[in-house]
Amino acid sequence: MLVGGLLIIVAGLMAFFPSMSESDSAVDWISIPLVGFPIIVSCILLAFASQETRERKELLAVPIRLFTLAASLIPLAISTALFFDWLIMVDWDLMYNEYALEKEYVWIETIGVSWHVGMDGLSFPMVWLTTFLIPVTIITTWNEKDGATYHPLLLMMGGALIGVFVALDLFLFYVFWELTLIPMFFLILKWGGKDRRYAAQKFFIYTFCASVIMLLGLITLYFLQPEGNGSQYGTLTGRTFDMTVLFANATAYNVGDNVFLGEDMQNILFAMLMIGFLVKLPAVPFHTWLPDAHVQAPTGGSMLLAGVMLKMGAYGMLRIPIAIFPDAVIYYQDVIMAIGLISLVWGAVVCLGQTNLKRMVAYSSVSHMGVILLGIASMQPIGYAAALFMMFAHGIISPMLFAVCGAFKHHYHSMEIGSMRGMAKWSPYLSVYMMFAWMASLGLPLLAGFVAELMVLIAYWPEYGWWILLPGFVLAITAAYYLWSMQRTIFEGGDEGQPPESLNGETPPDITLPENIGMIILAIFTVIFGIFPFIALGMMDQWTVAFFEGVFNSGGI
Amino acid sequence: MTTEVFSTEFWTAFAPESILVVGLLLIFIIPNLGNSKFRIPLTKVHVPWFLGGRRFKLTGSPAIPGMLATATLFTALGMMIIETIDGNMDTTTVTSGGIVILQIDNFSRYFEILFLSAALLASMASLDRIPAHTFQGKKSLEEMYDNRRQADFYILMLTTAVGMCMVALAQDLFVLFVGLELASLATYVLVGFHKESKAGAESGVKYFIVGSVASGVGLYGLSLLYLEFGSLQLTTLAANWADASILGTIALGLVLVGFGFKVSAAPFHFAAPDAYAGANSPVAGVLATASKAMGMIGLIRVLLVIALPEANSEGSAVWLYALAILSVVTMTWGNIAALGSKNPKRMLAYSSVAHAGYMMAALTAVGAWRWGEIEAPGDYAEAIVAAVLFHLFVLVAFKLGAFLVLGLLEMEGGASRLSALAGLARRDPLIGTAMFIFMLALAGVPPLAGFMSKFLVIAGIVSASIGELWMNGTVSFSDIHWIWWLALAMFLNSAISVFYYLRIGVVMFLDVPEEGRRKPLPYGASIRMAIWVCLVATVILGLSGDTLIDMCYRAAESLNLS
Repeated sequence: MLVGGLLIIVAGLMAFFPSMSESDSAVDWISIPLVGFPIIVSCILLAFASQETRERKELLAVPIRLFTLAASLIPLAISTALFFDWLIMVDWDLMYNEYALEKEYVWIETIGVSWHVGMDGLSFPMVWLTTFLIPVTIITTWNEKDGATYHPLLLMMGGALIGVFVALDLFLFYVFWELTLIPMFFLILKWGGKDRRYAAQKFFIYTFCASVIMLLGLITLYFLQPEGNGSQYGTLTGRTFDMTVLFANATAYNVGDNVFLGEDMQNILFAMLMIGFLVKLPAVPFHTWLPDAHVQAPTGGSMLLAGVMLKMGAYGMLRIPIAIFPDAVIYYQDVIMAIGLISLVWGAVVCLGQTNLKRMVAYSSVSHMGVILLGIASMQPIGYAAALFMMFAHGIISPMLFAVCGAFKHHYHSMEIGSMRGMAKWSPYLSVYMMFAWMASLGLPLLAGFVAELMVLIAYWPEYGWWILLPGFVLAITAAYYLWSMQRTIFEGGDEGQPPESLNGETPPDITLPENIGMIILAIFTVIFGIFPFIALGMMDQWTVAFFEGVFNSGGI
Repeated sequence: MTTEVFSTEFWTAFAPESILVVGLLLIFIIPNLGNSKFRIPLTKVHVPWFLGGRRFKLTGSPAIPGMLATATLFTALGMMIIETIDGNMDTTTVTSGGIVILQIDNFSRYFEILFLSAALLASMASLDRIPAHTFQGKKSLEEMYDNRRQADFYILMLTTAVGMCMVALAQDLFVLFVGLELASLATYVLVGFHKESKAGAESGVKYFIVGSVASGVGLYGLSLLYLEFGSLQLTTLAANWADASILGTIALGLVLVGFGFKVSAAPFHFAAPDAYAGANSPVAGVLATASKAMGMIGLIRVLLVIALPEANSEGSAVWLYALAILSVVTMTWGNIAALGSKNPKRMLAYSSVAHAGYMMAALTAVGAWRWGEIEAPGDYAEAIVAAVLFHLFVLVAFKLGAFLVLGLLEMEGGASRLSALAGLARRDPLIGTAMFIFMLALAGVPPLAGFMSKFLVIAGIVSASIGELWMNGTVSFSDIHWIWWLALAMFLNSAISVFYYLRIGVVMFLDVPEEGRRKPLPYGASIRMAIWVCLVATVILGLSGDTLIDMCYRAAESLNLS
C-alpha cells in the first residue's frame, strides 16, 4: 500500500512538472520536498497526537505511525531519484563553490539573509544518509511506547538535519543547527533511561554553549567582510550571510599577498568556529556529553544521534572554517592532528573499561570521529575523501550498533556486558547482527568501515610518517574491546548459557520482526558500501579534488 | 508640524491618547451611573443627575470596566498601528510658550504601540485572572472583593498606559519625569493589588519604597542638570553637552539611578523579584516588559540623545566604562540569581534583569563609537538602537506570554513554586508547548523571535566593535574595539540562561502534577487568546521580522543620532 502510494506520488510529480528532464530544474527539489515536508508533516502529526485522553492516543498511534513512515519514505525516494537521475538530470560534476539544485529566496532582506539551499558532493551523501536513516529508524523502533509522538519527532529531526546539510546561508545553517536540538531534547527527555533529565539537559546546554561561541565567530566574520552590492547583501548592513559569496571572497582574498584578515584574526575566528563543531563531533576534551546522552537516549534517538548528528560537526568543519580560513588550517594542522589522535586513543582505551554496552559503543563513536579529524589534519585529498567516507560509513554502521544495543536493552532489560553469557543460544538473530555490527565497526575488510580507515592511514603516512603506528595500534585496541565484549555476551556459558538476572528466570526472547527488518537493511547497505565504495566515493573524490583546487590552489600540500 | 497645546491639530494628532483618557474617565463614570437626583438648593426642583444613588443594573455590572478598558486599549492601539505601519508618519511637535513638550514621531509611536500592546494583553488576561462574578445569587467574600475592585484595577491599568505614553512622547526631561511618576505610582498600587495576601502587601510596599527612593535620586539629578544648563529641554541639553562641567556628569549619574531602577539594572534590581512574585502575573508581565521599556526610553534619551560626543569628534562617551561594567554585572547577576530561584516568577524577574543587561551592553556599544574613524557613524548607532527596540518589542511577545501562562496557573491556585508547572504539558499540551516555546525564545533558540532579537543586539555590538576596518586592508585582532568582549559576555550569559529556561521545560514535560492540580486547567477564554497572540507573535516575528525591523529602524532614525 505504501509503496503503491509512493509510486503514485512520484508519478504525479513527474507528470506535473514536465521540465524535469532538463538540468537546470525550475522545480525546487530541496526546500519543500526534503526540508519543509518532514518538518511540516511532523508538526501536524504532533498536533494530532497531543490528545489528552489515553484512549484516543492509543487509537491514533497506529495510523500516525504508518503515516510517519510513509512520509519519511518520500524524501528517501526523492534523494535516491536525484542520485540516479530518475527525476531530472543532475550534474554532480561540480567545480568548487558550485552547487546542484541551487535555489535562493530572500528571507530577511535588511541583514542579508536568504533561504539559500543547494547540494554538492559534500552534502549530498549526508542528505541521502539522513533520508535513508529516518525510515530505517522508524521501522527499527516500531514498537516504541507512545509512538504517536515518538515517530513524528524522529521525522522532524530528519527534516532539521537535512536543513543543516543543504543550507548555503550561514544564518539558515545556524537556525537548522539549533533546531536539531529540540526534537532530540524531547526524545531523550521523554523516552530516555533513568537519568534522562540530567542527560537531556546536559546534551542541550553543552551543545548550545558551543554553538553560541560559533555564532559569535560567524557574526564577527560577517562584519569583517567588505561591504558589497548585490541581491545577497543586506540593505541595511551591506554585508551578507550567503556562504557562496563568502567562499568566493575568501578564495579571492587568500591569493598571494592580498590577505584580507590578519593571521591572528583568521586563527581566532577559525578556533571559535571549530569549538562549535568539535563539541558536536565530539572530540576529546569536549566529548563528555555524548556518553550520557547515548546511554539515556532511546534507541531511535541514539541511532540518529550517532548516525547523522555527530556528522554535523564534521560537515560544518569542512563546509565553513576550512573553506574560509585555509591558512588557519595549516596553522592548526598539528593541533587538529593531536586532538584527533587523542580522541582516537582516549575513546578506544575508555571503551576497554566499559561494562555498559551502550556506553562502550558511544565511546567507540568518539574514537571513530577522531579518525575523521586525522583525515582532515592530513591535508591530503585522499584524507579528506576518507573523512567524508568515514562520515558516511559510520553513519550506516553506528545506527546498527545502537539498534543492537537497543534490542539488547529491550529484550534483556539490561545493558551490562557481563550480565549474561551464551546469548547465541536464545537469540540467534540478535547474536548474528551484533557480531556483524561489531565486525563492521572494527573495520573488517569488505565492510564499509574498512575502506575509510584504510584511506585515512594512507593519507596519514606522507604527512606524519611513523606516527602511523599509533592509530594502527588503536585499531587493534578497537578489535580487542569489540571481540572481548562479544565473547562475553554471545558465547561462553556452557550448554545451558547464563540468562541475565534482570529477566527473573524467564527465557530470553529473540528480536522482533521490525527490529529484524531495520537491522537487515542496515547490514545490507554496510556490505554494499564495503564492496562497492565507489558508489558514494566517486562523488566525494570529485568534491575533494575541486575543494583542494578551489581552497588550497593545488592538488594537495 | 509644530502646534500649540490644545489646538485643533493637537487633538487630531493625539487622538489615540485622547481615547485612552476618555476611556479612563468612562471607567470612572459608568459604574457610578444611577438614579440620583440633584435638588437645586432652596427649591423643590429635582434635576436628574445620574451620578450616584441606586446604580443601574446594566451599567453597574462589575464586568463593564474590564471590557471598557480592553476596548479602549484596542481602539487606541489599532489607530496607532494604522498610522505607523506604512512608514509615512508626520512628525508633530507640541510646544507651549516656546518650550517643546511632546513630539509624535516614529520613535514615540513605536513605544506607544509597545506599551499599549502590553497593557492590552495584560488587561485581556486580567478579565479571567481577576474575574467579575456577574452571576446571580449569594457571593463569597472573595468574589465580592473581586467585583468591588474591578474598576480600580482597570483605572490603574489605563493610568499606567497613559503615563508610559507620556514618557515616550516627552521632549523635556521634566515632562518625561512626570509621565514616569504617573506610570510608576499606578504600578505601585497594581503590584500591591492583592493586599489581602501577605506577599502582595509586602511586595507593594517594597516596590513603592525602593521605587520612590530611586525616583527621588533621579529627580535630584534632574535638578542638578537644570542647575548646570538652565533648561531641561532635550535639544538644549544635547547641544550644550560638550561644554558641561563635572556637575553635568554627576547629574547624569544620578538620573541614571532613576532609570536604572525602572529597567532593573544590577545594583538597583533588588525590588524587582519581590515585586514580580507578589504581583499577579499579568501585572508582573507589564512590569517586565512595558515598564522596562519605559526605563529604556529614559536611558536612550539621556545617554544617546543628550550625553553623546558630537559627531566626527574623537573619543567616547563619558559613561562608557560605567555602563559597560554595569551591563556585564547586570546580566551575570541576573542569570546566576535566576539559576538558584525555585519560584518561576522570581526566575522570570531575574531573567528580565539579565535581559536589561543585554540591552545596556548594546547601548554601551553606541557610546564606544569612535566617531572620528567612520564615514556614517549614525548608521551604526541606529542599527544598534533598532536592535534594542526590536528586543523590547519581542519581549512583550514571549516574556509577557510566559507570565500569562503563569497567570492561567494562578487561576487555580498559586504559581509561586516550580512544582506548580509540573506536568503542565500533560494536563494541557497546547499551553505546555506554548510555555516551552516562550522559554526557548527567552533562551534565544532559533528560529523564534528571541533569537532574532538577541542576534540583532549582538550583531549591533560586533558591528560597532569592527566598524569599517575592512577599508584599512589587513585586519588583526588587536584592531577590534574591546566592546567585542561584551558580545562574548552576552553569549556566555545566554548559554548560562539556557539552564534555567530548560528546567521549566523539563518540569512541564516530565514531572507528575502535584496534588490538587490533576484536573484540566481552568478555561479562561480571553487569557488563552492573549497567550495565543503572544505565541503567534513569537513565532512569526522570529521567522519574518522584516516589517518590525523596518519600524525599528524608522524609530531609531527619528532620534537623529548622527
